Amino acid sequence: MMSFKPKVGLISCSGEACSGGNISRAATLEVLHHLRPNETVTICLPLFLAGDDAERDFAKNFPTITIDGCNKFCAAKGTAKYSSEPAVRMNVEEYSGDSCTDSEERWKILKSSDLVADIAQSIASHVDKLREDWK
Amino acid sequence: MKKIVIPCSGIGKAFGTVAREATYRLADLEHSDRFKTICLPLLMSDDEESKQSVMKSDVYTIDGCPKKCASALVKHAGGIPVMEIVVPKVLAANKEHKPETVLEIGNGGRLLADDIVKIILSHGGNE
Repeated sequence: MMSFKPKVGLISCSGEACSGGNISRAATLEVLHHLRPNETVTICLPLFLAGDDAERDFAKNFPTITIDGCNKFCAAKGTAKYSSEPAVRMNVEEYSGDSCTDSEERWKILKSSDLVADIAQSIASHVDKLREDWK
Repeated sequence: MKKIVIPCSGIGKAFGTVAREATYRLADLEHSDRFKTICLPLLMSDDEESKQSVMKSDVYTIDGCPKKCASALVKHAGGIPVMEIVVPKVLAANKEHKPETVLEIGNGGRLLADDIVKIILSHGGNE
């Protein structure tokens, strides 16, 4: 008998003012659209505050991975505060160093960059692990 | 003092990408002497410096859908946007400027971002 495997929620910080936010957004979109399109769902982070109860239930309904662009962890903190504790907290800085000081480059982030691809693969691995471990 | 432009951080729709494109045109590429942006998620995290910025500056919000997250979070932080732009409403006034996808907004999306930049500049963003 096939066991139920939940979709995994991905929440990117998408911070506008630093490159890390754009990297987190690009990597998350790569997983959602190309690497694990049938296994993942997302929601806009600000909807936890601006939205309604159905939106705030997101991380209660889905095991959730937050992908932050810097060590301020806005996505992880916002998800925990307004919805539920994320299952995995990822930080782009662990792959790129301090990407937020390089603001002149923030608008140049390309979805095809090696860094984005590496982070997207890591997100996909976490997705697979969460689904494998689901009981 | 620089004016602040804040897009919605939307990740599900092409309109969210258009909002970011318009923001970077103003804050990074074409008018960085007059505009800057701040992280909306940081505002959501009650970051004091971000809250002070939106309370003391002229803030333009660009939202990708009627939920208006950017506008709502600025107000939650104690600011009052001088202009609240909703991208689909801008498209309604110029329907051929339709964006393609969230990953690639295409020429139509870039023209729509142009429309938003012009609206903000004509509203006083030129001062």
